[in-house]
Amino acid sequence: MSAVLAPAQRVQATVLATQGRPRGGHLLLIALAGIAAALGAWAEIVQIQQGLKVSGLNRPVGWAVYITDFVFWVGIAHSGTLISAVLFLLRARFRTAIYRVAEAMTVFGVMTAGLFPVVHLGRPWFAYWLFPYPNQRHLWVNFRSPLMWDVFAVSTYFIVSAIFLVVGIVPDAAALRDASAGWRRRFYGVFAAGWRGTDEEWRHYARAYLYFAAFATPLVFSVHSVVSWDFAVSILPGWHSTIFPPYFVAGAIFSGIAMVVTLLVPLRKVLHLEELITPWHLDMTSRMILLTSLIVTYSYAIEAVMALRAGPGPELSIAAYRATGPFAPLYWTMVACNCVFPLFLIASKVRRSPAALLGICILVNVGMWLERFIIIVTSLSHDRIPYDWWGIYRPTMVEAGITLGSFGWFFFWFLIFVKLLPAVSISEMKEEVLHEVGHAA
Amino acid sequence: MSDEPRDALSRRTFLKVAGAAGLLASCSPPAGPQKLLPYLVPPEEIIPGVPLLYRTVCRECPAGCGVTARTREGRVVKLEGNPDDPIGRGALCARGQAALQGLYAPDRFKGPMRRGADGALASVSWDDATAALAAALGPAIAKPSAAGVRMLTRPEPGATGALQREFMAKLGATPRQRVVLDPFDLAPLRAAGAIVFDRPELPVFDLSRARTVVSFGADFVETWLSPVELARDFAGGRGRIGEERTRLVWIGPRLCLTGVSADEWLSVRSGGELWVALALLRWLCDPANYVPGLAAEAGSLSRLLTGLDLGAAAIESGVAPTAIAKLAGELARRRPSAVLGPGVLSTGRHATELAVAIQLINWVLGNVGSTVLYGLDPVADPPSPVPAVDALLDDMSAGRVEVLLVHHADPAGALPLALKAAEAIGRVPLVVSFSDRPDATTQLARLILPDTHPLESFDAISARRGVVALSQPVMTPVADNRSACQVLIDVAAKLPAPAGPLPYDDAYAHFQQRSATLFPGVSGDQLAEAQRVAQQRGGVFGEVKVERVSLRTPDPTLLVPPVARQRDAAALDLVVFPTALRNDPSGEGVPWLREVPDVLSSVSWSPWAELAPATAARLGISDGDLVALTTQAGAVELSVCTYPGLHEGAVAVPMGGREPLVLLAAAADSRSGALAWQSGRATLTRTGRRAELPRFQGTPNQQGRTIVRTVSAAAPAVPKPAEPGKMVPLPTFPEHRWAMAIDMDRCTGCQACVVACYAENNVPVMGPEAMIRGRNMGWLRIEPFMEEKNGTTRVDLLPMMCQQCGNAPCEPVCPVYATYTNEEGLNAQVYNRCVGTRYCSNNCPYKVRVFNWAEPSFPEPLNMQLNPDVTVRSKGVMEKCTFCVQRIRAAENTARDERRPVRDGEVVPACAQTCPARAIVFGDADDPRSAVSALQRDGRGYNVLGELNTLPAITYLARVRDEDR
Repeated sequence: MSAVLAPAQRVQATVLATQGRPRGGHLLLIALAGIAAALGAWAEIVQIQQGLKVSGLNRPVGWAVYITDFVFWVGIAHSGTLISAVLFLLRARFRTAIYRVAEAMTVFGVMTAGLFPVVHLGRPWFAYWLFPYPNQRHLWVNFRSPLMWDVFAVSTYFIVSAIFLVVGIVPDAAALRDASAGWRRRFYGVFAAGWRGTDEEWRHYARAYLYFAAFATPLVFSVHSVVSWDFAVSILPGWHSTIFPPYFVAGAIFSGIAMVVTLLVPLRKVLHLEELITPWHLDMTSRMILLTSLIVTYSYAIEAVMALRAGPGPELSIAAYRATGPFAPLYWTMVACNCVFPLFLIASKVRRSPAALLGICILVNVGMWLERFIIIVTSLSHDRIPYDWWGIYRPTMVEAGITLGSFGWFFFWFLIFVKLLPAVSISEMKEEVLHEVGHAA
Repeated sequence: MSDEPRDALSRRTFLKVAGAAGLLASCSPPAGPQKLLPYLVPPEEIIPGVPLLYRTVCRECPAGCGVTARTREGRVVKLEGNPDDPIGRGALCARGQAALQGLYAPDRFKGPMRRGADGALASVSWDDATAALAAALGPAIAKPSAAGVRMLTRPEPGATGALQREFMAKLGATPRQRVVLDPFDLAPLRAAGAIVFDRPELPVFDLSRARTVVSFGADFVETWLSPVELARDFAGGRGRIGEERTRLVWIGPRLCLTGVSADEWLSVRSGGELWVALALLRWLCDPANYVPGLAAEAGSLSRLLTGLDLGAAAIESGVAPTAIAKLAGELARRRPSAVLGPGVLSTGRHATELAVAIQLINWVLGNVGSTVLYGLDPVADPPSPVPAVDALLDDMSAGRVEVLLVHHADPAGALPLALKAAEAIGRVPLVVSFSDRPDATTQLARLILPDTHPLESFDAISARRGVVALSQPVMTPVADNRSACQVLIDVAAKLPAPAGPLPYDDAYAHFQQRSATLFPGVSGDQLAEAQRVAQQRGGVFGEVKVERVSLRTPDPTLLVPPVARQRDAAALDLVVFPTALRNDPSGEGVPWLREVPDVLSSVSWSPWAELAPATAARLGISDGDLVALTTQAGAVELSVCTYPGLHEGAVAVPMGGREPLVLLAAAADSRSGALAWQSGRATLTRTGRRAELPRFQGTPNQQGRTIVRTVSAAAPAVPKPAEPGKMVPLPTFPEHRWAMAIDMDRCTGCQACVVACYAENNVPVMGPEAMIRGRNMGWLRIEPFMEEKNGTTRVDLLPMMCQQCGNAPCEPVCPVYATYTNEEGLNAQVYNRCVGTRYCSNNCPYKVRVFNWAEPSFPEPLNMQLNPDVTVRSKGVMEKCTFCVQRIRAAENTARDERRPVRDGEVVPACAQTCPARAIVFGDADDPRSAVSALQRDGRGYNVLGELNTLPAITYLARVRDEDR
């Protein structure tokens, strides 16, 4: 009996080992992330005091880095739910080892993304006006505005993904509670919600998990569709395009999974999870990156073809401007990062090499950030009246600081998370290995 | 009582809560001294919230347009033209609109100042200051004819000038010791009047009667002679198609705004205008061309001109003989016409010869007496001939001047530095300046007696015979300034015996005495009443008969063009040009004039150097490169801005700063003595550095998009776009649909509307840094679109502001309903609801929404100009043109009080109000009889980007290009 359960116990031991007092290196990383977040906060205070003149924004480029960051982080937040919910429903087994990291990334990604709609406002102290709350002035919000849809889409997504994460943690937290003492025991006790591991509990739990997975799945598609409507619903050439929702969803999954790998590869090293997160897991994940990369490439091609089909006019002009204008170096970097480098993943050797994979995924992250930047900035600086093309946008230190701060904010939470809660699901992993054992037997 | 519910508020709780609330309320932070000071005895005419209007006169240029100053609660907030005044007829130019900022300039002197031994200015009292001046004048006037005293003044064609002359006479000085300085005086035109018609005066041009106007570098829509009047009269003949449309031909090395309005541009090389004029005259007078109805003298003129070498004319001017013949043929056919010039752009060493040739053309065509009128110049205080100025400078340099009284003239700052005026002034022991703002001359002055602003003083200005505009203070002086007239009276009273006091109690008594002469034969109460009525009307406006003049056969040597100069092939002609905004250095420190971008280059704040694109390409220079311009007189570094409306052999520099004055040589027109603005050649060297200009960086090429449209006789209507499919019902506006029509055939791009909009709507000035970053706050801009067509550059202007769309793209995207279409069709912006997402601006295809990137600042006392009817916006808020909603509401309220509908033409936005060309018409599109409805139905009417189904309220009337056949 114990021989049969040995692999499961090794899983539990491996994951339990990741919990505990963080060591120097880890603390240093948390401190660095905290400093970066503080820097971003300071930049934001400067911006509130002096107004948006400290940014590089101008007329006509009313949106740039902040909205890029917003879309980037929402995109990052996408793969979590995709991996945990959609792949759960599809019974993709490779999901088990990586879904917790992806889910945590989702929650912190949304928490980061949610900052930017406030940061980019001219009067952020009135950000609460974006919520429909009853007031004696009878002021209401405009439900026709895509920004309003964003408010609901993103907050819904945050709530659902946070619940999904917390629900998934319950059995693990119980295991950790039983294995620890002191404040950790109380801490895990909260997350365990009195879990005892009875059959009845397991049955309810499995039902609930399935329900949340089903509930979260449409959100994967809706959130980024809604975000894409910020652009597609406008009449700006370069934004006004019906392909945007699927294009944005694919892009979001692409960037999100790339971010998962970017986090996983160092994590499995640092937390000694190589045994649980194997090259096979990386391989399977890479295949998804390759697939979404191809969809994104297809979308770029469609945009170009549509511009050509439209004939001379704003659409073609904006396409040419992207490829040859002052932002062309960024555009071609984006194409290289999103369309060319991921093609290396066709080789299984690359897919199974953590280092190569990490490199490609970082490039994809850069490329996807640039993609949003290109869409936003080039379209705005190239509207219908050529005389208005006076805005060559250049980011400022404040915008760079706030962007850096957003990474600091994200990693600060993530680094704390992996030390407080299991980065790999113990219960599902056990189930997985026992299932393997069963097959072997 | 016992059945009272338990949870009701008990007395004890109530007292607790009330006490805590009272305590909290008393803890509110101190909000600074907040005192309401009501008038103890309210002035009769000031009703809070109701504007009080005063009529006065604009002194920004010699044209003398009448002004209606709108004051609120005792301070002037807006200047508009005086509709009764025959010169401006209710319109003002950009500089006239900006005169307010001269009044409220933060750098104005706050009172008299004296320069101490350490060279620093220190405040003194008026008594001490006048005593000091009187004491200094004492020994000077003891000498025969007060030889050491000089007065240097701007032209003062009114009471001030009269008093100055009286004062100088009291001192015992000769009239020649008072020198009148106007660097832009059209002396060649005066000289030509003397030579050709024996009338040493400026003619008045009546363009309303001219069918073809030919301008030799006379930029009459911006600065030349009387721009508001000329632009209005000229525009009267525009906006129609075919023969009856007034045609304009521009002859010059650079397309200034007048050239932009022209139907044809003869691009001459700088200085070649004289050749063109003479060739034109020769063609017209040549009996071989059988021009009918020429003046009798044509025959003798023809004989004088037979020696003119037409081949040389073509080479020297760069204009083909066929082009000259074509123009001459048009002038022969379309009469009356008007030939204008010379302006600054064509005033070189031979400007008088050019003026003579121009007036001879006018004479032989019979224009004199019809469109060119003599006998209307009052010759009141004409500028001194340049030799008199030179003599003064010589006297100063030689130390023969002890006291120099400078009255609103800035010889050190407004003349070419090569004249060394500053050095000359530096040798005068006592320089007294009456300027109210610092300039280059006040830096050399030992005593500064700041004059009141024209909006704070009385005067009677005679800009034309029969027209005397009365100026009056429209508010109490902003600072402790005193009218120069009063100071002269005070000083005279303190002078020793032979000089003695002037016979006036004060300046007002002098003004009254002078204005009484306007009403001969009236006295007593009737006179007082007549004076009051005239003051209310803004002046005495009478008609004067035009005098007939006869031709004096000119000296034949005048009709011989100059011997061609050897030109250094490596150098370029230096073309200096004034614009409506950049003119004399006094515009420095007037924020509106510097912030509003130049129409053609879109540069604001800083000067620039213009090159034709071909020249720039040849020299390997691109926009934004810093180049060194060198002439014999000096060298400057300027950023390059390419402009296809410039002759390829020229480099052009705008006036209004030091740079052109550094570059200009001390050259003069040989006959009139006028400053020869266009006489230099400049070499251009690359510095290898770049300096970004504060400018809009968009392209003036409309890339084949039909944003500006033109029509011609062949295609007189703009094709209407197909009616787009309607998926949702279109909005209707049952009561009013406020709308505007802008006639681009009339618009000259003079920017008066832009400055008026800044003034009316409290639009903040952000400075050059913000301009570089693309953060201009103007609600209205003039967009130029340029193209090469038929071998010539043409520029179409598009005034662009919020289109007040009926189906506005900005509205659905705002998450908080800060912008919406109201029931009168206005696209309203609710500043205090705006959170600043900027989504509306992103989605606006016209990009006319402006965002407050920073807290706007209105340095004191500029804040006194703020219009109390318009909110001052804060940082983080979007704003845009409102169609002057405050004026709409005022008119609607008046109409409601009077129980009648709003009349057509009752609502006039600030831009339409001041448009000299009357290109902007505003009204209710719901009323089919309104002027704007009629224009909406005009064949030339179209909506910019109408294909987007935004349903704009602005109809543009396409410019007529009758050369397109």
